[in-house]
Amino acid sequence: MDARLLPTVDLDTIFRPRLAQLLNVEEMTAKEKLFTFQLKDGTPLGQDPGQFVEVSVFGIGEAPISVSSSPTRGDTFELCVRAVGNVTNALHRMAPGATVGIRGPFGQGFPVEEMRGRNVLFVAGGLGLVPLRSLIHAVLDMRQDFGAVTILYGTKNPSELLFRNELAQWEARDDVDYQVTVDVADESWRGNVGVITTLFRGLPVDPRNTVAVIVGPPVMYRFVIREVLGKGLPMGRILVSLERRMKCGVGKCGHCQINGVYVCQKGPVFTYSELRNLQEAI
Amino acid sequence: MPLKVIEKRDVEPLIRHLMERFQVVGIKKKDGKNTYGVIESPAELRLDSCATITSPKKYFFPQRETLLQFAVDGSWEPQAVVEAQPRIIFGMRPCDIAATWMLDMAFSEVNADANYLEKRKRALIIGVDCKEPCDEYCFCKSMGTLEVETGYDLFFTAADDTYIVRTGTPEGEALLGEWGKAREALYEDRVKLRAVQREKDERFKEALEFDVEELPRFLEDSYRSLLWDVLGEKCLSCGSCNLVCPTCYCFNVLDEVKLNLSEGERYRVWDSCQLEGFAKVATGENFRERRGDRVRHRFFRKGKYMKEMFGRFGCVGCGRCTRACLVHINPIEVYNQLKGGE
Amino acid sequence: MKPKIAVFEFSSCEGCQLMFANLEAEILEVLGAVEIVNFREIMTEKGDDYQIAFVEGAITQESEIERLKKIREQAKVLVALGACAHLGGVNCMKNYQDQEEVRRYVYKERAEWFDTIPARPLSAVVPVDYAVPGCPIDKKELLEVTKSLLLGKKPSLPDYPVCVECKMAENICVFDKGMTCLGPVTRAGCATICPTFGNKCEGCRGLVDNPNVNSHKQVLQEHGLSVQGILNSFRMFEGYLEVAK
Ligand SMILES: Cc1cc2nc3c(=O)[nH]c(=O)nc-3n(C[C@H](O)[C@H](O)[C@H](O)COP(=O)(O)OP(=O)(O)OC[C@H]3O[C@@H](n4cnc5c(N)ncnc54)[C@H](O)[C@@H]3O)c2cc1C
Ligand code: SF4
Ligand code: SF4
Ligand code: SF4
Ligand code: SF4
Ligand code: SF4
Ligand code: FES
Repeated sequence: MDARLLPTVDLDTIFRPRLAQLLNVEEMTAKEKLFTFQLKDGTPLGQDPGQFVEVSVFGIGEAPISVSSSPTRGDTFELCVRAVGNVTNALHRMAPGATVGIRGPFGQGFPVEEMRGRNVLFVAGGLGLVPLRSLIHAVLDMRQDFGAVTILYGTKNPSELLFRNELAQWEARDDVDYQVTVDVADESWRGNVGVITTLFRGLPVDPRNTVAVIVGPPVMYRFVIREVLGKGLPMGRILVSLERRMKCGVGKCGHCQINGVYVCQKGPVFTYSELRNLQEAI
Repeated sequence: MPLKVIEKRDVEPLIRHLMERFQVVGIKKKDGKNTYGVIESPAELRLDSCATITSPKKYFFPQRETLLQFAVDGSWEPQAVVEAQPRIIFGMRPCDIAATWMLDMAFSEVNADANYLEKRKRALIIGVDCKEPCDEYCFCKSMGTLEVETGYDLFFTAADDTYIVRTGTPEGEALLGEWGKAREALYEDRVKLRAVQREKDERFKEALEFDVEELPRFLEDSYRSLLWDVLGEKCLSCGSCNLVCPTCYCFNVLDEVKLNLSEGERYRVWDSCQLEGFAKVATGENFRERRGDRVRHRFFRKGKYMKEMFGRFGCVGCGRCTRACLVHINPIEVYNQLKGGE
Repeated sequence: MKPKIAVFEFSSCEGCQLMFANLEAEILEVLGAVEIVNFREIMTEKGDDYQIAFVEGAITQESEIERLKKIREQAKVLVALGACAHLGGVNCMKNYQDQEEVRRYVYKERAEWFDTIPARPLSAVVPVDYAVPGCPIDKKELLEVTKSLLLGKKPSLPDYPVCVECKMAENICVFDKGMTCLGPVTRAGCATICPTFGNKCEGCRGLVDNPNVNSHKQVLQEHGLSVQGILNSFRMFEGYLEVAK
């Protein structure tokens, strides 16, 4: 290409994070902590529900993490992180007052505007509740704009349940149908036992006006999508959020690619109809 | 843009002249093979050689490149790092000029990448035409990259004792103007250029057994072909094919701290989708675990995905990947086999 | 509190020792963050309070097994230093023994040569947390591993082969020069030092996690190496693996 046609660029590049301060840390389970951050320049993060940020622990590296809080709730933002590797463990060692770097928010979040007026069926498996929570909060904060709200949540065992206070609140609400199941119960568990698909038995779903939003580990998708399709939902109203390895978050490094699609750009939220022809997706 | 003529014997003085103002890089000999390197004296530059081990993309997208400097405790604002210097790439081949177009697209699309673009913009590209195929591996003609219309500032075609020079940009024209020894092309020169181009075209053979525009369809139809498993069994997952490819631009990003443990830098390095860990995540899930799936991904990127994204193929037919591959995985053979419906 | 590092030495070659001696100053001085409590000869394993143990050398005697176990008990993090500690096997002996000796060694005639137990890597005796591979170790890598440990970062070895670094360095592939090379199956991280100087890679850093050994063997054969030659080239550093099988 003629070099003159190349875009002018900001030398403050796409790779420079903004600084954010850790305000609060809350232990959720043995492996997950909830972190509250505020950008040091005082601006709100400006995320859409379902978007993610690249979090830097300087010297350790960067990791993509979904924003778990809704933009409808103040200028701070929350990340719920499972300690699995270098960056995530380093985050877990941090105490309030510490500084991290934040790039983003990146990616396409949930199409909240298109969902307005419809019933919403949330299906969360394990850590999948983290990105879903931002949307659940947004929907509950604008409750009158939506039809019936159903939340199905499943984890391996009771000790892995996240956001317990909130789960109790959802349970208590009349305008939310909340159901939870665990794969393996312990002595104290009184609820459903079984994989998440068992919650679909007899679940009322109006296929004409429902959007299903499904987030969970890779193995969950195929089975849950089958259930939802079985309820008669069209593929375009089934939303999922996919996880892939990510390095840049801005459509350059190639790591997140599913067939020809960069997840960090076109996703992480996709409709099932967008994914159906991507053999590597699900 | 005007056509100019330079006497071959004047090329050395031209290079010397350019070296006064720019870093001049071009093809040099290394151990009997060719690589791009900084030209220290004009005689080093081999305008007639091609088939370099890696491509000149390293001047826009180096093997390792600093992106950021930071304090480990975040006590000061991290600083973006963009390194660029004026540079002339003298002797870039048509295939690599076409590949540069592809990288330009990739790095300017949506989130413009300053680290690439600043280096790219400060470079002048002087192309040199090929006379004959580099070796049995290149297939530029089949990929439509044997002739390039744009992407260079100047483009040299050897004809008898002269180079007939196409000017591609005002910068290229100014470069010659200010040097002062290039003359305007005459009618005879134009005739000569056309003759040279015709002869050149005859020397290059079509390697593909079908029209390249059909490639995406053939790929689509063979997504589940056994061919990928067969190739996967051979592939060493060594990444060589990606690393030498002029259109590959995937990278990894890593942090390195200084010995004081309080400051550090973030850098990117070339990466390869053929490597085992490329799509693996911390929980152990590997989204492209099988070698065959990775090989397929490479060929789909070159022959389909990039075409869909940018309108041109991600393979320019330079043959570098075949030269580098110890198990002889060769795009032309793969593509032709796909056509055979395997 | 400064983390305390101890360095221990078992049967290793001069190369590794030299490399470490060169580094001593750098680690001590520049990384003011650590305190080195034990260093080679001046050590007594018992009762020392160190958190990180760097251990070089292979285990070749019964008494060493006990010593190593004690070190493991004390250390929070145990790092194998160099090919001898990391891979055991023929380890660094290639540096001062001739090929015939090496070959006889891997052909399990070692009783003749050592009145000891078969050489083995540390990991055959105790769990090893990390390794700084290579014969000799790469100074830069040792520093990176040390820095990582101090930052609380898991030192990660590249899981890709030497060819990656070799191509980035734009080396002429030694296969093109009529030699054979273990680079395609050997873990990178040495900045492809041998091919850069025109030599073949002998695999001193061990295999990548999932090498395509079969295909690589075919490549070696195609370039004129017999099956025996292939075995020998692998046994240089992978000797213990084969004995272990
Ligand atoms: C869009 C998106 C949203 C995510 N949201 C969350 C979340 O809200 N909470 C949470 O705990 N985890 C989330 N993850 C997963 C999280 O990114 C990984 O667990 C994390 O990158 C592991 O990094 P590490 O440095 O600790 O692990 P290491 O094993 O040290 O990984 C090294 C590097 O590899 C890459 N990598 C490894 N695993 C992943 C992965 N699963 N996804 C992407 N890149 C990876 C990263 O660049 C990482 O820094 C999300 C992933 C994606 C893609
Ligand atoms: S160069 Fe050949 S062996 Fe190596 S990754 Fe590419 S296709 Fe596989
Ligand atoms: S795929 Fe191979 S032939 Fe095509 S551009 Fe890349 S290196 Fe050249
Ligand atoms: S691949 Fe074609 S265009 Fe490129 S150098 Fe070789 S002959 Fe020239
Ligand atoms: S010399 Fe060895 S390491 Fe380098 S590319 Fe060739 S086979 Fe790979
Ligand atoms: S090139 Fe091979 S033998 Fe040489 S140092 Fe590296 S891994 Fe060891
Ligand atoms: S994360 Fe780099 S391209 Fe998507």
